[in-house]
Amino acid sequence: MSERIDFEDVAIGDQLAPLERGRFTTAHLMRWSAAMENWHKIHYDQPFAIGHDKLPGLLINGSLKQNFIAQLLKDWAGRTGWVWKINFQFRAMNVVGEKLTVWATVTGKREAAEFGLIDLDVGIRNDKGVESTPGKAVVALPYRGRATVPYPFVPPAM
Amino acid sequence: MALLTDAAKAFIGYRSEPFAACETVERGAVRRYAQAIMDPDPAYAEAMAPYGAPIAPPIFPSFMFRTPFGAPDFLTDNAEDPDFDGIVMGVGNGLPPLPLDGLALLNGGAEIEFLAYARHGETVLQSSRYADIYERETKSGPMIFVIIETEFTTEAGQVLLRARKTIIRR
Repeated sequence: MSERIDFEDVAIGDQLAPLERGRFTTAHLMRWSAAMENWHKIHYDQPFAIGHDKLPGLLINGSLKQNFIAQLLKDWAGRTGWVWKINFQFRAMNVVGEKLTVWATVTGKREAAEFGLIDLDVGIRNDKGVESTPGKAVVALPYRGRATVPYPFVPPAM
Repeated sequence: MALLTDAAKAFIGYRSEPFAACETVERGAVRRYAQAIMDPDPAYAEAMAPYGAPIAPPIFPSFMFRTPFGAPDFLTDNAEDPDFDGIVMGVGNGLPPLPLDGLALLNGGAEIEFLAYARHGETVLQSSRYADIYERETKSGPMIFVIIETEFTTEAGQVLLRARKTIIRR
């Protein structure tokens, strides 16, 4: 979790320290299925996943992967910034046995009245280097020496 | 072969009335969720500035709409069905299911806008809408894309997050 990161501390091209997750086991997926109380068989029933749904193996839940992207950005923005928007596509499947690297790169900076906005590309790569969850995000950061980003967040008029 | 029927397309624009999750934001549910997503943020356990109370992870509100007391047991009811995929959506999103029986369901991605965290003890409501339903030919054959927009708010009217989700049926 960042102590405080200001708009001025960030440059286009900066890469956030990645979040490493895995190696994933069926137990990780069961723990998530239990936590959210959804029992979609493609995450733990291998005969169903492969035989019925024609998948390559037990899939790491997209619903779990999106939480990793939110976590990476939240911890970077710290309590003085705010993750405003995230979008992502589930472009490729990740299966049990993989390790995942959750990454983000700064692609733009915009100035609103009360705080700055950082545009980022985000994604999740497996240990074979395959990108599965490409997307974009917008994070609000305070200007140096000025008030923190308001909480609850109030979108800027732009 | 076209997958998408007029009967399914007729659901475009349908919006559910706001309704509350069956439980408030519970500490134990937050703990299990935080452990499952492997996020050790201390703000999930104790009050930290600027939130004023222990909070739930950012996307937690969208997973609060679970199977309430008294609901039918889908797992037992479908135990003899070899095609039952195990999906139990709790009370779902308040939207009627689409007439797309037998098609597999994949999560195609989402856009999420965050405005605040849910705090322990709060009641969360949601309202959803079928924003679009369309079919596309892909490398893997025809697929139906279902776009669902959902807004999550507290009882006091604070918007927590807005999600625009793409569900793929094939």
